[in-house]
Amino acid sequence: MKERIHKDVVIIGAGMAGLTAAMYCGRMNLDTLVLENGIIGGQIANATNIENYPGFVSVQGGDLIATVQQQAENFGAVVDEFDEIEKVTLKATPKIIETQEKIYEADVVIIASGMNRRKLPLSEEKKFAGRGVHYCELCDGHAYDGKIIAVMGGGNAAVDAANFLTKYATKLYLIHRSEFRADEVSQKRLRANDKVTIMLQTEIKALRGNKRLEEVEIFDKKSGETKTLAVDGIFVNIGVEPNTKLFKDELTLTASGRISAGEDCRTEIDGVFAAGDVREKEIRQLTTAASDGTTAALLAEKYLARLKAVN
Amino acid sequence: MVKVYTVKSCPYCAKTKKFLASKGVEFEELDIEKDPAAREACKKLTGMDWAVPVTTIDNEHYVIDYDKEALEKLLCL
Repeated sequence: MKERIHKDVVIIGAGMAGLTAAMYCGRMNLDTLVLENGIIGGQIANATNIENYPGFVSVQGGDLIATVQQQAENFGAVVDEFDEIEKVTLKATPKIIETQEKIYEADVVIIASGMNRRKLPLSEEKKFAGRGVHYCELCDGHAYDGKIIAVMGGGNAAVDAANFLTKYATKLYLIHRSEFRADEVSQKRLRANDKVTIMLQTEIKALRGNKRLEEVEIFDKKSGETKTLAVDGIFVNIGVEPNTKLFKDELTLTASGRISAGEDCRTEIDGVFAAGDVREKEIRQLTTAASDGTTAALLAEKYLARLKAVN
Repeated sequence: MVKVYTVKSCPYCAKTKKFLASKGVEFEELDIEKDPAAREACKKLTGMDWAVPVTTIDNEHYVIDYDKEALEKLLCL
């Protein structure tokens, strides 16, 4: 029999949005729990060099999020990253969050579950995962010291990964199927590095190797040419998808799989808020995630005050 | 003694270490970026490109990555 525990606020996800919400909820003396099924920080845990977060000239993602977690915990919020959520029931009163070990009853739920990285959609991915195909440059980049590396993707995460990996690579290819979406500053830094060859409008069609990755087959969309490229490792950064599987039966999801909620972060269910990248919106930045976390927490407190006044 | 092969900057390594500590499991951490012998031992164990974290109890049975269920099984938690 799982223990039942009441919380004023349960926050799902410990990225920038979730931990900012936790910090604000903690400051307002709300009994606050943050649950995280993945890693603390979400996408920014892997960010190597954040230069567009106000107050920092340059900061490692892991260091920044550890500070925000500390701030949240200093104000009494509890972060649990080991008890995975199995099921949520948001339309009930109170809302129910069932984990592997406990059942939480919450008056407010703030969903800040963020995004997951997309896997390489090639049949050989499984064969080479960890044997030349990687997703975490901070974890596995060191294994390619003095080797040839390819980075797949054209957004900020891909270009930042490529810039980071140049410290190991003797040669680095940035391969992307369309045009860059990354910041100009990051692009410029990459272009200035003479180890780097940028291959835009180029698709990776196949991975080959005996026991480990040895080469990739690439298709140049402009010339129509297919070529083989010898590489020791490839780091995949081809975008993200919203982490909303838990909520698909509870909330209306948009075509992109995100949660529909306005700038006030309120969803269609009273007392349920969506904050950060998981919310459908045009701009998704670290700063806007912090902003969403703030908004959700402050409006959650108003909702709780109304709830208490009625009861 | 449980061994955990890690890299300092790896967030999954940090999570694995925190998980073991939360369960009261004593372990030896081996940073494969700093220790070439550990790096080779880790590669030999998994046959992979020094993927981390790797948790082992006997240099034979191991878990790659943070995988709560697999860690609980390996360590009989």
